Amino acid sequence: MIRRKRTCWTAMIMACVLLISGCSVWPGQDDAASSKKVALTLWYWNRSIDDKLIARAKEKFPNIELTAQKIGGDFKAKLKTTLAARSGEPDIVALNDWIMELFPSEDRFYNLYDLGAGEVEDQYLPWKWKQGVTPNGQMIGFPMDTGPTALFYRADLFKEAGLPSEPEEVARQIDNWDAYAAAGEKIKEKFDGKVFLTDNIGSVYSQVLSQASERYFRPDGSFIGMDSPAVRTSWDTAVAFKQKGLLANADGWTPAWNAAMNNGEIASFVGAVWMKQVLQEAAPDTSGQWRVTRAPGGDGNNGGSFLSILKSSKHPKEAFELIRWLQSPENQLEQYQTLNLFPSAPGVFDKPALKEKETFFGGQATGTVFAESAQHVPDAFFGERYPSVHNIITRRLNDIAKQNADPQQVWSDTVHRVEREAASVKA
Amino acid sequence: MSPDSGPFHPDLDRQKSLWARIWEHRALYAAISPFYILFAVFGLFPIAFSLYLAFHKWDGIGVMTYNGLNNFKYMLTDAEFWQAVGNTFMIWIYSTIPMLFFALIIAFLLHAPFVKFRTLFRVGYFLPNVTSIVAVAIIFGALFANNYGFLNYLLQSIGLPVVEWLNAPWGIKVAISSMVVWRWTGYNAIIYLAGLQSIPQTLYEAAKIDGASAVQSFFRITIPMLRPVILFTVITSTIGGMQLFTEPQVLVGNDGGSGAAGMTIVLYLYRESFINNYFGYGAAVGWGMFLIIALFSIVNWKLVQGKSS
Repeated sequence: MIRRKRTCWTAMIMACVLLISGCSVWPGQDDAASSKKVALTLWYWNRSIDDKLIARAKEKFPNIELTAQKIGGDFKAKLKTTLAARSGEPDIVALNDWIMELFPSEDRFYNLYDLGAGEVEDQYLPWKWKQGVTPNGQMIGFPMDTGPTALFYRADLFKEAGLPSEPEEVARQIDNWDAYAAAGEKIKEKFDGKVFLTDNIGSVYSQVLSQASERYFRPDGSFIGMDSPAVRTSWDTAVAFKQKGLLANADGWTPAWNAAMNNGEIASFVGAVWMKQVLQEAAPDTSGQWRVTRAPGGDGNNGGSFLSILKSSKHPKEAFELIRWLQSPENQLEQYQTLNLFPSAPGVFDKPALKEKETFFGGQATGTVFAESAQHVPDAFFGERYPSVHNIITRRLNDIAKQNADPQQVWSDTVHRVEREAASVKA
Repeated sequence: MSPDSGPFHPDLDRQKSLWARIWEHRALYAAISPFYILFAVFGLFPIAFSLYLAFHKWDGIGVMTYNGLNNFKYMLTDAEFWQAVGNTFMIWIYSTIPMLFFALIIAFLLHAPFVKFRTLFRVGYFLPNVTSIVAVAIIFGALFANNYGFLNYLLQSIGLPVVEWLNAPWGIKVAISSMVVWRWTGYNAIIYLAGLQSIPQTLYEAAKIDGASAVQSFFRITIPMLRPVILFTVITSTIGGMQLFTEPQVLVGNDGGSGAAGMTIVLYLYRESFINNYFGYGAAVGWGMFLIIALFSIVNWKLVQGKSS
């Protein structure tokens, strides 16, 4: 019996050891202390920071032991789970344009103003800078790249339809959404309805809205209401595009979108600078035919990212020095060349790298167009509920575009739905 | 087992307290503890926590605040929740009826004496079940795509008009249901086959002697004898159907596609919790779904049982 018991205990202990050793991560504090280096971890996603730049940062800051971790999959979900668990947080984290969702948790981040961010504020685009500052004036996100928007169009199709085809001429003649819609009708007529002006209703709505200086919420958190002129104009423009038959109903990030672009079924779209890459990969057959010019109706921004320092970090000063260096104007310029990340530091906009001619765009230097656009993006407050409200509206618009739902009916349903969401008891 | 080893002597143990008895056999309890510990951590705790969460507001990171029954009130008055419930039931009907029908036919054929290479067929029918759902959804997405989809290509090549599968409310449901049918028919067929094999051959022989036809013996012997197995498949497909998530999520996205026609209850729960960060509300939806599944399973059980008695 005794022997049996002992065997049993041994088995138990071994099982426990296995369990513990399987999941234990002892932080390497001892190593750090012995080498007198400051250990920092950085979370980023693929192509948000150049790996070579990170390698250089390790040389530049010999006192920092930098562990840069490329987080794959659903980055936002992983970050939020980690924040909720209050353990295993990195020191520095990259945030995408959903940064406003984290504003209610501003106390989980260092105020970068306290660490000296104010010293470099004038080097960055003011509207971009403000997107990282919470309504309480805490700066939680340091500017990385931006997503200024412009009109991407097929010069050959525009020319064939009797429209201007040179970028300056297009910008001059098609400088508002009505003129753009009129151009779309010409294209539709010329190509017998086989070529559409643009991709989908959601992108029209979002792009008109991105040119406005307000969204759905005021900085004090109150809901502006669906009758704000910005929302109304964006909605009406989007619905008009549908009614005039200018939409290909090709949703972004689908094989159908790629195919429609490559087959020349879509003559143009308003998109952010990073769409250059997306388009080149989707439509290789159309190389040389595309051009880029200032968007009808004004400039806007889609996307772009930020770097933050979490409150759990023990070395915020060193972390901030590192961030400041990683996103210095020179390094942003370098990442524009390596990863196509558009700088948020306007000081480098006149550098030769932005004036390089691109064969996909028929030898046009598109960098200058986006640089102009980036300097004219209006300030806009988003609010932490922006994503859910915006999503309700765009998916309702899809019902109009794809199921021919009655726009008036959908509008009143949407108003009801959005107001319910804005007054929500859920969170 | 030697007489002094204890655990199987209830008479002796009864005199001691429960804890004393547990302590005496601590080594054995420790040996079986991993399951209970893991269950408590990954099973019991999340269930209890979700109940607690259902009465709170929580964005996943910040402070939780007590919200009373508001989450449940919101759920019951939310048109999108009820649409999700309706969608889920529709998809369940679209998928379960053909699925169980085909499964029964396949099982019957596999059981027939003239079929060769049975094991091969059994493995073949089971394969869809072990294929990654994400891969399946991507392939079905390519089949049903509005433009450049394979089905539309077929329709066009025989001169029929194109169907916008993923724009029409019923088209989305058909696409999702067909995925479920494809994936689970073989699984249910294998279960039916096991049921068929347990029916004594003598019953059929006796019926044959009495002059029963094949059809008669199918409806009078096979179906009644299979009843418990059919009950099992109905209940499991009820639970599975109510929990449908990956198929619509990969096929039509987090919003359930055009007109939210593919929005199932779990997809709604997922979107509200993990996309919109209403974790408290998501937990409430989870409990709502639990009630629906429980009620619906009872109804199904009564229906399938009731027919026989």
